[in-house]
Amino acid sequence: MSEKKVVEIKNLMKNYGAKDFQTTVLKGIDLTIFEHDFIAIMGPSGSGKTTFLNILSTIDKPTQGSVLLDGNDITRMQNKALSKLRRDKIGFIFQDYSLLDTMTLQDNIALPLSLNNVSNELCIQKTEELSRTFGLKEHLKKYPYQLSGGQKQRGAACRALITKPEIIFADEPTGALDSKSSRDLLECLKEVNDLGQATILMVTHDPFCASYAKDVYILSDGLIQCKLSHGEDRKEFYDRIIDMQVLQQA
Amino acid sequence: MSITKLAFINFKSSFERYLSLVVSLSFTILIFLNFQNIIYSDVFQVLGSRNKEYIDIIVQSISFVLGCFMLFFIWYAMNVFLKKRKKEIGVYIFMGLTNQRIGKLYILEMIMIGFSALIFGVGFGIITTQLFQMILLALSDIAVEINFKFTIEPILITGIVYLIIYMIFVFKGYINIVRSSIKDMISASKQNEYVRQNLVILFIKTVLGLFILIAGYYMAIKDGGQEVLGNVLLAVVLVVIGVYLLFGGFIPMIFQGLVRNKKFLYKKQRTLWINNVIFRIKKNYNTYAMVCILTLCSVTALATSFAMKNRYDNMIQFRNTYTFQFLSEKSGLRQETQAFIEQYSKLEYASEISVVNLERSLVKSNDFNKISSFLSYSKVKQLAQEIGLEFSLEEPKDHEVIQTGHMPLLSLITEDANIEITIHGENYKQIRETKVSYLGYLQESLGFYIVNDKEYEKLKPFGEELFIYNYKISELSKFQEVKKAVDGLVEQKKESYLGRVAIDPESSEIDWIKVLYSICIFMFMVFILASGSIMFMKLYNDAFEERERYLILKKMGMEHKVLKKSIVNELRISYILPLIIMAISSYFSVHALGKMMFTNLFSINVITVLIVFVIFFLFYEMSIRVYQKNTGVL
Repeated sequence: MSEKKVVEIKNLMKNYGAKDFQTTVLKGIDLTIFEHDFIAIMGPSGSGKTTFLNILSTIDKPTQGSVLLDGNDITRMQNKALSKLRRDKIGFIFQDYSLLDTMTLQDNIALPLSLNNVSNELCIQKTEELSRTFGLKEHLKKYPYQLSGGQKQRGAACRALITKPEIIFADEPTGALDSKSSRDLLECLKEVNDLGQATILMVTHDPFCASYAKDVYILSDGLIQCKLSHGEDRKEFYDRIIDMQVLQQA
Repeated sequence: MSITKLAFINFKSSFERYLSLVVSLSFTILIFLNFQNIIYSDVFQVLGSRNKEYIDIIVQSISFVLGCFMLFFIWYAMNVFLKKRKKEIGVYIFMGLTNQRIGKLYILEMIMIGFSALIFGVGFGIITTQLFQMILLALSDIAVEINFKFTIEPILITGIVYLIIYMIFVFKGYINIVRSSIKDMISASKQNEYVRQNLVILFIKTVLGLFILIAGYYMAIKDGGQEVLGNVLLAVVLVVIGVYLLFGGFIPMIFQGLVRNKKFLYKKQRTLWINNVIFRIKKNYNTYAMVCILTLCSVTALATSFAMKNRYDNMIQFRNTYTFQFLSEKSGLRQETQAFIEQYSKLEYASEISVVNLERSLVKSNDFNKISSFLSYSKVKQLAQEIGLEFSLEEPKDHEVIQTGHMPLLSLITEDANIEITIHGENYKQIRETKVSYLGYLQESLGFYIVNDKEYEKLKPFGEELFIYNYKISELSKFQEVKKAVDGLVEQKKESYLGRVAIDPESSEIDWIKVLYSICIFMFMVFILASGSIMFMKLYNDAFEERERYLILKKMGMEHKVLKKSIVNELRISYILPLIIMAISSYFSVHALGKMMFTNLFSINVITVLIVFVIFFLFYEMSIRVYQKNTGVL
């Protein structure tokens, strides 16, 4: 494991509602994500998964606590700096793919680079490299409506990776996919992670999806209740996650 | 529930969404009705029956153009509406309704919309007629008291024309729905999907479009005789077809090429806006073509207005060169007549000239104007110098003549005729025509040939020499008084004066031209507002479709600055494309107009195009703000 800290979360708290009727969604989370980590955050509905990811993604602000990304506290940054941070240091994979239907897959993947004035040769080269890794080379000229859900999501993953961000945030990336497409996507994500090309934090409710991560954190009632680490065998890891879920529900 | 009831419920509940269609239809009805009302109203009767007759002819012609505009506009609005509505009513397929029943539902809804528009259009039309006439008269600088009067004929004509056009497109929509497959109806929401078009077809469309457009330009400016009107009409049809093909072929071809060229696409954030433009091009090229044609109409209408105003002033100046002109067989009456007039009013200037009048039968020519009066070159030159008129004529050689023309409003014959004249068996050639008013009103109504002094002397024996005495009074308010005295003088000295011409400086004889140019300004406003609103509404709707895409880009961390720039680029191209084709085409339409008026209207062309650019710039600025707001990028 690399010792470089990518994200450092300290005492993260989030309340919603008016003064007298406050609901505390996050009750003080501490978590450090190192370079080349592949973390899955699991938890039942209402456990605070989405709020947690929204804060890390800079879409929401915490009530208390700090989130250091590459040494900078993102909770104190201004809008412009946050845009820059999202653009340069964070990659996103959304449940609904969020590809732009006005452009081909190739243009979608190249979009973050081409909008940031990166040389066109590099845009083309990087798009081709990533599309090869994700098995999309022959689909580059197609428009999103001509692609399957799995292909779209792998395209979205390529788009997230193309800027070589410090960290990828994936929000239920397999939520809309069938099991074959889910597996294809997760294999690809695992591969880039194993190759040391990406640090990933994934929010999911699906144990199968989580079993591809190196570490799984179970979030419940606004706190991280436990952590499971990947062993040698993914099947065995999957079983342990299921057991832990059952235990949590009991 | 019956189909009629369902249609009524739909109409009632969705009236707000139908409002844009109702407003557009009402707008065309209102305009058409206002113009029709001019024919049946007696406001312009005050200018005399001849003026009224001319105005009626103009309004009839403009009504025809407006009828075409109505057809075009209704077709466009109904097409947009049908696509939208098909998506919404397609869902009835799942409730067991057949295409025919859905079609019937569509017809009933459209009839309700159509009649609402008719009621609004006619209602507001009646209210605005008086205002319209007041503005028209004010622009025309005509002082008349208007009494509110409305006849039923304009309403009937407007209603019939509108309903015929409207119902044609309603039935067209019905047939479209009946023939739609189930898949078409339920997947209408995916109709935005961009389908890459075949390059060969695009290329053929482009070449054909260019060819037809150039043919249209050629027909517009082609010299001709009586067939010029037919040529101009053909030019209009060719330009409309050419513009449509060009926008349907050339623009997608270029943009498809740009999208394929990644080295170009990935520079300067082009990927976002170029992809957006090409994505919607199939849906949008109709709009671009329509806006291009409407702005071309507006430029031509405004140029016509400016040119008419200019020509009216010149015509007035031409015929008012002199206030009184006397024709006499006697020479040497100038001082005596001048002294007589000066008893009543001061004179600005005076001149005299002799003219040889030949028997009509002695002069044969292939010219439309049959002229048999001759002036000598040196005397015309002397007259011009005396009263300070421009004189740039070279002395004609033997057997050559220069025609003194007048200032025509329009001529449908644009051919440079090779005029040959035979005078008393000898051949003469017309080398030039001058439009300087050496002989004022007489020149306008009679026409003269200028020959060299030798030829003049040669012609003298074949005809009679007359003398023309010209006077311009400086106290125009005393015109009637002087005229009365002059009439007495001519009556009294019948042996001296053959006749006189008195030109009333306040005469309203050609006031119909003033009405024509103010009507042209209205036409300009109608066209420019229609085209600007079409563009604005299209982008307004597009922005809603774009909202989600911009949300994704924002989530990805794209800076507002980058997104705003992309919007600006996309909108700029949407506005500029039709304007470029319009500017090029306007050169030919205004040039054709200039040829008919025997004048160069290039500067007017440039000015009118600039005015349209300025107005469109305002629409563009407004669109940017609204687009940014609707996409959430502001």
